[in-house]
Amino acid sequence: MATFILRRLLWLPVLLFFVSLITFALGVYGPGDPVQVLLGLRATPETIERLRREYGFDQPFHIQYLNYVTNALQGNFGYSLVKYRDQPVGALIAQALPVTIQLNLVAIFLGVGIGVPLGLIAGLKRDSWLDLLIRGIVVAGISLPIIFLNPVLTFIFSRRHDFVLAALNLKFSIGPLLPMVQGYWDGIFSAKVILPAFIESLGIIAIMTRQMRAGMIEVLSADYIRTARAKGLRERVVIVRHAMRNALIPIATILGLMMGGLVAGSFLVENWFGIPGVGQLAFDALMARDYYITMAMVLLIATAYVLSNLIVDVMYGLLDPRIRKS
Amino acid sequence: MSNQEAGSNRWLIGIIVILLVALCGALCVGGGVLYFLMQPSPTIITQPSTPAPGTTPRAPAQQPTARAPSTTSRNILRLPGGTDPRTLDPAQVNDTNAGEYIAEIFSGLVALDQDLKVVPDIAERWEVSTDRKTYTFYLRKEVKFHDGRPVTAQDFKYSIERVANPATRSPTAENYLGDIVGVKEKLNRQAAEVSGVQVVDDYTLKITIDAPKSYFLAKLTFPTAYVVDKNNVERGGRTWTDKPNGTGPFKLKEYVRAQRIILAKNENYYGEIKPKVDEVHFILSGGSAMTMYENGDLESVYVTISDIERVSDPNSPLNKQLYIGPTLTTGFIVFNTRKPPFDDPKVRLAFAYAIDRQKVIDVVYRKMPLAAKTILPPGMPGYAEPANPITYDPAKAKQLLAESKYAGKLPDITWTTIGGGGSAAQNIQVMAAMLKDNLGARISIQQTDDASFFNTIDDPAKNPYQMFDVGWAADYVDPQNFLDILFRSTSTQNWASYANPEVDKLLDQAAVENDNTVRFKLYQQAEQLILNDAPVIPLTHSREYWLTKPYVKGMIYPPIIIPRLKYVSIER
Repeated sequence: MATFILRRLLWLPVLLFFVSLITFALGVYGPGDPVQVLLGLRATPETIERLRREYGFDQPFHIQYLNYVTNALQGNFGYSLVKYRDQPVGALIAQALPVTIQLNLVAIFLGVGIGVPLGLIAGLKRDSWLDLLIRGIVVAGISLPIIFLNPVLTFIFSRRHDFVLAALNLKFSIGPLLPMVQGYWDGIFSAKVILPAFIESLGIIAIMTRQMRAGMIEVLSADYIRTARAKGLRERVVIVRHAMRNALIPIATILGLMMGGLVAGSFLVENWFGIPGVGQLAFDALMARDYYITMAMVLLIATAYVLSNLIVDVMYGLLDPRIRKS
Repeated sequence: MSNQEAGSNRWLIGIIVILLVALCGALCVGGGVLYFLMQPSPTIITQPSTPAPGTTPRAPAQQPTARAPSTTSRNILRLPGGTDPRTLDPAQVNDTNAGEYIAEIFSGLVALDQDLKVVPDIAERWEVSTDRKTYTFYLRKEVKFHDGRPVTAQDFKYSIERVANPATRSPTAENYLGDIVGVKEKLNRQAAEVSGVQVVDDYTLKITIDAPKSYFLAKLTFPTAYVVDKNNVERGGRTWTDKPNGTGPFKLKEYVRAQRIILAKNENYYGEIKPKVDEVHFILSGGSAMTMYENGDLESVYVTISDIERVSDPNSPLNKQLYIGPTLTTGFIVFNTRKPPFDDPKVRLAFAYAIDRQKVIDVVYRKMPLAAKTILPPGMPGYAEPANPITYDPAKAKQLLAESKYAGKLPDITWTTIGGGGSAAQNIQVMAAMLKDNLGARISIQQTDDASFFNTIDDPAKNPYQMFDVGWAADYVDPQNFLDILFRSTSTQNWASYANPEVDKLLDQAAVENDNTVRFKLYQQAEQLILNDAPVIPLTHSREYWLTKPYVKGMIYPPIIIPRLKYVSIER
């Protein structure tokens, strides 16, 4: 097992090398550059030329890349060029990352908390109207893009909705719900986290429901369930102790995979709700061609995915010795 | 399944659960630790407030906490902050968002007052030599940095040379200080010092510029020329602005990135107009500023297009809190005069007459901006209503097109604009439709991101775009900032590649003219010539709409960066 993990970890630098090379090349050879964005309409050729020279952007690609890698290996991931001029990239990410992790933990919590029971019910009541309804909702949840859901849900929970209710002659004020969507990021223990986290969790709910439903159906037809029933165990015990536990195993591996996503951030949700996490930071950096932030983000996300995949593989290895051997 | 297998299953589940819990826990703890580690520095910047003797004792300074401040104190002004400022370094700022904070924390030799006139600031007076190339500034003696150190002419020399130091990488050095003799040499590493800045004594500073320039003092009001504290900059390293030691009416008390900026009153401010509010809180993160204002969480707020109708309704209680102010901006359509069909002025004029600006403004912009008839925005010195403005006249447009060399064979045209949505901005679609209806012009709209857009138009000689739209906002209050920079044939920001020797001649005369009445006349003549040639169509002058609570006095939204918060008081 140790050699397996070691071998996988040794691949990480190779992967990071290629990822960084490609990202860096996209930055250097892609259209627009940070100097241009910084200067905007006020760019004169002499200022552009001076700043490019001072930043070393006039150097050949391999020199620029080598400089970056040399600094990065010493723990210096550069400084923001445009968005937060001269702030160290590491500090910017260190500020944004906890916010994203918190948001995504709430999302995963909601996703598991809602998705697993839904899948359980759907699996137990297979092919009933309830099953159809749950599957319908789940398909809708995963199919509707966040970019559509964000404005719709914000509209529903915002003050502007009051006139819609008035037109329907409903005596119901949505006022108390306002803090959920308005104001600013207030940490994980604030009502403001609920709406963005819920939108973020829709995909997780869908996956959890489908996985749990499939797992339940498969497990319920297994021999040991029939045996358990034949032994005369109560149905509740059969389901909770024998069926559900086994159906939960694949859920655990999926959860492991999602840990990578914790770091990858939630670009759309964070940008829509103005949550200062890595999704927003990365989006702003991309738009502003703030190279060094983009580079660090890509490296971070790649590492997170490698590590979470590794954890999943280790878990599979424990589950199935055949994988370990190959 | 045998008992043994069931047992190993349970064992596996146990391991998985432990692994997951451990991972979750590690992430939580790691995140939490990181979060709190990042709090004291550099995220939260606190500065001890030192009340001056004789002032009334203030409420104890708020302890920085991770939660947003809930303020009930009466003398605190809360404003929406929008996005984070790019920088708080006067040498780095080139946008109004960041400039707003910098103008409160720092100050310079001269400033703009509320009427946008250049007035003394740290310099109490100045003399201009007879060749109008040397300015001698006499500094006030009582000016101190926030830490109490007196400001001398040496500090100004240091500050200007810091901007001119290529390692500072200032984006505004050439634009605002490039007229000073020696700045460009230092920027290009050809000189160690800026020869045009001389310290005569501690309170006398002499600045020499390369040619007589009537707008030079106007340029010095921009943050690039502000004074910074050498110790502060050199000890603070790259992130010295986390704890800026300025001279302005307010000090930076706390800055939590993406959450809030808190400015506190500078009790020792030297200016005649002292700051009146104790603190100003800028709320930086998301959420609807309008809702916060209506809930009483902000003292003032910008009105955006989505709220303008509601707020403009005279029956709305908000209407009495509404203020409208000018901005020194003009939105243009720019024609590339090197590209057919816009190499023919008649085609450009035909386009100008074929667009119903007022209709676009009424329908798309809900009447928020003014229809532009001129290049210079109202409020700019030298602005004058044109004698015969270009109006909406489809018949004249058709006639002009028929007289042009592209009569009956107008090629397909691409209009390039900044945007990334599924469809282009409404105003552009509407105007393209007007051009199609009135002139039969086949216009396709091409959207691009701003980085590529700037990259392309910044090189007018190679710019492949046929027509595009831009907005220009004044950097300093002088007509030179519009006419000379955008329309001189040799200017690098002459986006239309416009060349008219007569215009160039008038601009040359205006640049050295000392008498403002004559100078503005010359600019008006140049402007009329440009409008006749129509390398651009002026479309709109934006206006600022804002709401202010009745108990707040003196709140202004100036059209250019000026220190504005010292005028504000809260009177409940």
